[in-house]
Amino acid sequence: MIVGCGRVGSMVARTLVAQGDEVTLLDTDAENFRRLAERPGLRMMVGDGTSNEVLRSMGIDEMDAFISLTSQDTLNALAAQAAQLTFGVRHVVCRINDPARQKMYEGLGLRTVSPSQVMTDLVIEALER
Amino acid sequence: MYAIVVGCGKIGYYLTRALLASHNEVVVIERDSRRSEMAADEFGSIMVASDGTEPTVLREAGARRCDLLISTTGSDATNLMACQVAKSEFSIPKVIAVVSDPDHVPLFKSLGIDVTISTTEIILTHIEEELPGGSLVHLLPLQGAANSIVCVRVPSDSPAVGMDLAHVGMPPGTALAAVVNKNGELRPVDGDLLLEADDEVVAITPPDKEDQLWKALTGGP
Repeated sequence: MIVGCGRVGSMVARTLVAQGDEVTLLDTDAENFRRLAERPGLRMMVGDGTSNEVLRSMGIDEMDAFISLTSQDTLNALAAQAAQLTFGVRHVVCRINDPARQKMYEGLGLRTVSPSQVMTDLVIEALER
Repeated sequence: MYAIVVGCGKIGYYLTRALLASHNEVVVIERDSRRSEMAADEFGSIMVASDGTEPTVLREAGARRCDLLISTTGSDATNLMACQVAKSEFSIPKVIAVVSDPDHVPLFKSLGIDVTISTTEIILTHIEEELPGGSLVHLLPLQGAANSIVCVRVPSDSPAVGMDLAHVGMPPGTALAAVVNKNGELRPVDGDLLLEADDEVVAITPPDKEDQLWKALTGGP
């Protein structure tokens, strides 16, 4: 399950489906689904990824992986921690933009990715090349 | 005491007034500039127009020497993060989050947030207390809400009036804790106790047995 169908969320969904995975993509705004064409293996649903009730109705109990990729750190952290602790999903990845908070959540046992940290590393690497 | 309040909506505003009135040192962090300016007219320089989930903002607000942080915004996600940053980055001794979705309460507790106040549940309880006759009031969730202490008043037209407790048909997994009569006197709980109109029955029950308990005691649908 992927929460957040922005540029990153939609690309991750497309890539996983192309690999043969089944993906449920959740976003509060149906408009965001225009980024993606319908295809087998992809389910696009409108709903709030921080609501346990919504996650349960989308079948989170059956999911192997949960990825929260909205643009807001707060929503991603709540959704990911609910997936990990309330529902016991095995693979949880959480986007945290702010590098200071990313470090903190890594310390708290969450797998996190910080786009600004990744970008910084790439820019520095490109400069050094 | 030194307290940081995150969010200056209705809850944050009145809380800050109360904390100031009882001579505490308070800093209020509100992200919305309009709200923050309005509150600054009354509270002055203790208002910080910024994001209370940012470690740098909390550090500048004096989180290192803070005794208590209360996050009162309307967003559970924001309140959780403000409390987690307060706890793990600044070791603030007590962190309190306001929780709107009662489903989130067990998660917040398991993440070490000291106290959670579910506004939704408080309002529901008040509404239930106002309902006439046989209502079921939640007094306290126990151990991650697997069971709660609830209170049911026996209405005068209930079939349970005049019955002894052994025959009322309590749902399995439910324990009776106390029966208080309409004069406020505690009645000893045993199988022979005959229920009277307006008795208040205090029971410990799992959430999915509440309906059955309520039916047994009130005869309601």
